[in-house]
Amino acid sequence: MFSIARTRLALAGRAGALPSRAALSTVTPRKMEKETSPVIDNSSSTTFAALEARLNLQFKDRSLMEQVCTHKSYEQGRLGSNERLEWLGKRVLNLYIGEYLFAKYPNLPVESLQDVQHANFGMSSLAEAGKHFGMLPALRWTSAAGQAQSVGATKVLGKAVQALVGAVYQDQGPVAARVFVQQHLLTKPVDIETVVQMKNPKMMLVELTKRKKLEYPVARLMKETGRFTSSPVFIVGVFCGTRMIGMGFGSSIKMAEHRAAKDALLKHYGKEIKSVQLPEADESDLTFFKQETESL
Amino acid sequence: MATFRLPNVLNEVIHAHKDQFIRPTKPKNGVGAFVFPCRKLVFNYCERSGSSKSMMEYLQKEAIQFSRNNPQIEVVVQPRPSKHPIIRAFYTNGHQKTKCVRKCTTDEIPEVVKSLRDHSGHKLRKWNKYVISDTPSVRGIYSPFHVKEVHSITDLKD
Repeated sequence: MFSIARTRLALAGRAGALPSRAALSTVTPRKMEKETSPVIDNSSSTTFAALEARLNLQFKDRSLMEQVCTHKSYEQGRLGSNERLEWLGKRVLNLYIGEYLFAKYPNLPVESLQDVQHANFGMSSLAEAGKHFGMLPALRWTSAAGQAQSVGATKVLGKAVQALVGAVYQDQGPVAARVFVQQHLLTKPVDIETVVQMKNPKMMLVELTKRKKLEYPVARLMKETGRFTSSPVFIVGVFCGTRMIGMGFGSSIKMAEHRAAKDALLKHYGKEIKSVQLPEADESDLTFFKQETESL
Repeated sequence: MATFRLPNVLNEVIHAHKDQFIRPTKPKNGVGAFVFPCRKLVFNYCERSGSSKSMMEYLQKEAIQFSRNNPQIEVVVQPRPSKHPIIRAFYTNGHQKTKCVRKCTTDEIPEVVKSLRDHSGHKLRKWNKYVISDTPSVRGIYSPFHVKEVHSITDLKD
């Protein structure tokens, strides 16, 4: 008879030894009674190795990925959790996302920058990235809600992604961490329009032009159609002197003016630098972890 | 009748936050970094039945090399007595796909494995449109060959 143990030996014997880095495991099933849950999708050491390879990482510390995926709620926190890594990762993320947004949107005010960071790199967005990495099945945690397993998953997953960034920083250094953040997280499309709050765009535009010492903005009707019908359309341009700074449409002149002012503001605040020039980061700049290991 | 009303200041705050709800942005695979969609393959076989014969041969001869060549995929080998051999693939988007390889020849199994590995994990659908856009235009895809002469690039020369 062909036993499981022999299968494993045979598999191992063919290729010399079991691959160290490759993710292969043989699961021995318990009693084969009714197949209540035919889908076995638990996390094991191979899951972490595969996750590492999927993200193109090679941690020097082999147990680091396991630690990243372990929440403090797992086994009442008896195993090493990702709390400390998460704390570090949060700071690392803040730094690299901050320097990127600062360079990319030179005209954006501080409050909006904060909102952009919150919306695009907040907990739920990080959790979305974690799902994309396939981290969700690798996570080891216990839901506070008991039976309902998915309650709180977003937060745990988001924290795990933060811990992952922290682990990359700790294990591979600041340059690798920056590359990781840039490649995996900073490539998402950022929508400025939803973030910049404009209650009264016309007034804001007047204030802006005053601050910039430009001429007073004037709205001019550019095109119109069907003024006396049930569905008129007006196109209004906002001018600073002779230069048009924004354009908007609307079924009334007032609405078109409003949109034109909004357009002008968005053009100014949402100005994007396409090829961002970030300050050079050097491996020798930050040697916090290296020094620590040397002294030990 | 006395009605309870929140103070105006609070109302404004709540209103402002209602406007601010922003859906978390989804990453686009391949922009910046490509994350392999297939994350796990489970090989099920039966030791006794003939339908698993070539599956067991595959596991003995090629499975290790496969997992070595594809470190991004977790490979699990698992007996499933008195059942046909199946290969179950798990994808990062939460979907899974199962293929039965009963009575397959030794040449057919690697092809099945390859098709499961290379699948994106998304539901199969018919792609009718040539361009997929986040910001689709009302006027359709721009074509330089179908605009009037006025808008053509030749105007910009002088």
